[in-house]
Amino acid sequence: MKYVDCFRALARQRTDQIVVTSAGNSGQAWWAATRDSEATFYLDASMSLSTMFASGLALARPELKFWAFMGDGAFCMNPGMLMVERQMNLPNLTHFLVSNRVYGATSNAGLPNFEQNDYPAIARAMGLERVLEFRSIDALERDFAALAPSNVAGHTFVVLEVEPFSAQEQKLEQPPFDGPELKFRFGRHVEARTNCDVFGYRL
Amino acid sequence: MNDKPSSAVAPRIAEELAKCDVRLVASLPDNWLMDLIEAIDRDRRFTHVRVNREESAIGLCSGAYMGALGSAALMGASGFMTVIYAITKINYTYEIPLFLLLTLRGGVGDHHKHHISNGLYLRPVLDAINMPYRIIDQPSDISQISRCYHHTRTFARPMAVLLTRNLLRGSHA
Repeated sequence: MKYVDCFRALARQRTDQIVVTSAGNSGQAWWAATRDSEATFYLDASMSLSTMFASGLALARPELKFWAFMGDGAFCMNPGMLMVERQMNLPNLTHFLVSNRVYGATSNAGLPNFEQNDYPAIARAMGLERVLEFRSIDALERDFAALAPSNVAGHTFVVLEVEPFSAQEQKLEQPPFDGPELKFRFGRHVEARTNCDVFGYRL
Repeated sequence: MNDKPSSAVAPRIAEELAKCDVRLVASLPDNWLMDLIEAIDRDRRFTHVRVNREESAIGLCSGAYMGALGSAALMGASGFMTVIYAITKINYTYEIPLFLLLTLRGGVGDHHKHHISNGLYLRPVLDAINMPYRIIDQPSDISQISRCYHHTRTFARPMAVLLTRNLLRGSHA
C-alpha cells in the first residue's frame, strides 16, 4: 500500500490518540495526512527513539492513548527497544512499525537483510502478544477496529507494509516547527488534556 | 577521604532523587553503580526501567518529561559516550530537560585500563556540547543532586552529575 494513503487511512481511524512520529518519512506523511500541530510530537532525526519517547509519555500519562510511528530503518538500528517495550507492557501504547524496506529519509537506500526481515516474528520472539500486520488499505479499514479494545492488557505492535516514497513524495513538506515551538505546543496540549504541569507553570 | 561503603551512599542518592519528585529511573549497569541500581530497584517510589542501550534511556526520560513525570537516567561513562547524537538531537533541538547520573571513570583510583579513554575524553566531550556537570565525590556532596536536577528544569537542557569511585566504592575499596 502507498505510504501516505496508509497514513490517511490511519488518520481517519484516529479518535483521541496522541502521536509521536519518527525522523523522515513518517513525520512527512503524518503532517501531510493531518496537519496536526498540537497532539503530535514530530521527533525529527531521533534514529530509533520515537517509541522510547512515546513509552515515557505513556508511562507518565496512563489516562491518554499514544500512537508511535517508526520506520524499519530506525527499527534496524535498535530492535532491542522491543525488549524494553515488552518489559514495560504499556496498554496505552501502540507501536506502528512502518516497513518500506529502505532508509526512506536518505534517498531510499537499502536496509540490511531487507528481503528476509520478519518484523512480526521478531516482535513475537521478544514476547509481544498483540502483534498485527497490515498490507493493504482495505485490510486496514476493515480490521483496524480490532485495535480498539481498551481492556486488553499489554501494548500493541502493528507492522504496516508500505511502498517507499516516490521521488515526488520525498518532496512532501517536513513538519515546519522549530524544536521549542513544537515542545510547547505539544506540552500545552498534554497539560490541557490531563491537567498536569509539564513546564512548571501553566498558562 | 570517604571510606564509607557504597551501600551507605546508594540509599542517600535514592532519597535525593525522590526528593526531586523523580519517579522514573532508566538504567544501564556499571559495576560502580550496582548498589545504587539495586537500591532504586527495591524502592517502590520509583519505576525502574532496565533499558537495552543508553540511547533508549534518553528517549524514555525525554518522553516522560513531556508527560510531566520526573525522571533520571543512570549509566556508566562508556554508555554516555554513545548517546551524544540522541542528546543533541532531542534535548538540545527541542530544549527538553534531562538529568543524568554518570560514573566518572578513568580517574585516579580506577584500575581498569579500558576506562582510560573515559578519563581522557568524558569531560572534554561534555564541554564540547556545552553540557554542565557537577562532580559528586563525597557523601556531603549528595545534596547537590537535587540542585542539579532542578537546574535541568530551569536550563531546559541536559545536565549530568558525575559520581566518583571515591563516592561509590569508598577510597579504600
